[in-house]
Amino acid sequence: MNMALEDLFDRHPISRPLVNWGVTVISVLLCLLVLPMRLPGMELAGIGPNWLLIWVVAWSIKRTMFQGALAGLILGLLQDGMTSPSPTHALSLTLIGVLTARLQKQRYIEEDFISVALIVFGMAVLAETVTAIQFSLQGGRSLMEIWTYHQFVALSSAILSSLWAPVVYFPLNRWWERMGLIEQV
Amino acid sequence: MYALRRWWERYGIQTALVTAALSTALFVRQTQGGMLLETYQLITRPFQGNPAQQDRLATAQAQELQQRLIELESRNQRLEELLGFVSAKKTKGVTAPVIGRSADHWWQQVILGRGNQDGIQVGSIVLSPGGLVGRISNVTAHTSQVLLLSDPSSRVGVTISRSRFMGFLRGKAANRAVMEFFEKVPDVRRGDVVSTSSFSQLFPAGIPIGRIESVDLNKSPAPEAVIELTAPINYLEWATVYPNSANLGEPQLISPPVPTADETPAPKATP
Repeated sequence: MNMALEDLFDRHPISRPLVNWGVTVISVLLCLLVLPMRLPGMELAGIGPNWLLIWVVAWSIKRTMFQGALAGLILGLLQDGMTSPSPTHALSLTLIGVLTARLQKQRYIEEDFISVALIVFGMAVLAETVTAIQFSLQGGRSLMEIWTYHQFVALSSAILSSLWAPVVYFPLNRWWERMGLIEQV
Repeated sequence: MYALRRWWERYGIQTALVTAALSTALFVRQTQGGMLLETYQLITRPFQGNPAQQDRLATAQAQELQQRLIELESRNQRLEELLGFVSAKKTKGVTAPVIGRSADHWWQQVILGRGNQDGIQVGSIVLSPGGLVGRISNVTAHTSQVLLLSDPSSRVGVTISRSRFMGFLRGKAANRAVMEFFEKVPDVRRGDVVSTSSFSQLFPAGIPIGRIESVDLNKSPAPEAVIELTAPINYLEWATVYPNSANLGEPQLISPPVPTADETPAPKATP
C-alpha cells in the first residue's frame, strides 16, 4: 500500500495533492453522513457526538489560524445544510478552528489522545454555548428554557465527542503526517 | 505581472481548492443538504426496517382495541350519515421508515426514507401509532425531514378533548411539550387527552397528541400544562405521512340534514 502510493506519486506528481485532498474530502463526507445516525454506544439520552467539531479540532491542531477558520466556516455551512440555516453553525465552528490553532498544542501539551480528548471536551462546551447565545439573541424561546437545555446538551455532547475524538483524530493525523513527510522529501 | 504569476504558481492550487470547497459548502447549505440526504438514504437502505414486519409485532390487545375502534367508528359513521354529515374520505398515507435523527441536538428532527417520488410534500403531516408526530419541513426525491412536535419552534393549536378548552402547544425536547391556555381558569385535570384544535392552520383538527402530565394554573401570563406525547417520538422506527387536508381528523358538515322517508340509506353490514 505504502509502496504503491509512493510509486504513484513518483510517476505522476500531480496525483499527490489530488489523493491528499481526496482523502480529506471523503473524511468530511463520512463525518457528515454519520451525523444523523444514532448507533448503539454512540448515544447519550438521544444525543450523539458532534463529529464535525471533532474534525475541525483534528484539522486545526497543527495548522494556522486562517486554515482553522476556513475549515470551520466550510463545515459549519455544511452542517447548516443538514439541519436549519438559522442560527448558523458556521460561527461556532469558525471560532473553534481559530482557537484550536491558537492553542499551539505542541508547545504546551504533550501529543496524545488524552490532550486531544480534553481539547474536544472544552471546544464542544464552547460550541454549544455559542449556539445557545445565538438562540437567546434570536428570541422566540424563553431564556430559562434555552439555558437549562444548554447545560444538558453541552455536557452530553462534550462527553461523547471527547470519547469518540480519537476515532477521527488518529487516522487523519497519521495521514496528514505521512503526506507532510512525503512532501518534505 | 511577474509577481502575480509567481503568486499564482505558489498559491494557485490552494486558492482554487479553497474556493471549490467554500462554494460546495454554500451550495449544500442553499439546497438544504438535498444531495447529502440522498446519499445517506442510499447508504442506509440495507438497514431500513420493513414497516410490514413492524405491523405484525403489534400485540393482541392492541389488535383487539383496534377492532373495537373500527366497530365504533363505523357505527359513528352510520349515525353521522343519518344526521346528514358527509362521511370523511379516508386519505391514503405513505408509510415511511425513519432512517436518521437530527444532525444537531438543538433541533428535534427525523429523516424519513421516502420523498416526493412517493407523493410527500412540504407541509404534509406525519402520524405514528399513538398520534401526531410532526410535519414535513423539507423534501428531496427519496428522503424527507420531519420537524417533530417536540421541537421548541413547532407551534400547534390544541384543545382539551373533555372540556374543549383551547390553547397552543410548543415543544420541549424529548417527548414532552408545553400547552399554554387562552383562558385564565381552564377546566383541565391530570390525564386529560389533548388533540389538535380547529384553530390550527398547519394540522387538521381532532388528531390525538398526548395526555396532560401536570398543570400549573398560577403561571403568568397564561396557565400552562406539561403534556406527555403519546407517539413514541424517542424510538420512532416508522411513521405514516398524510397530505394536509381537513378531512383527516373529523368529518365536516357540508349540507344541512334533509331526512326524507325514501332516501334513508340501506343498512350496511358492519365489519
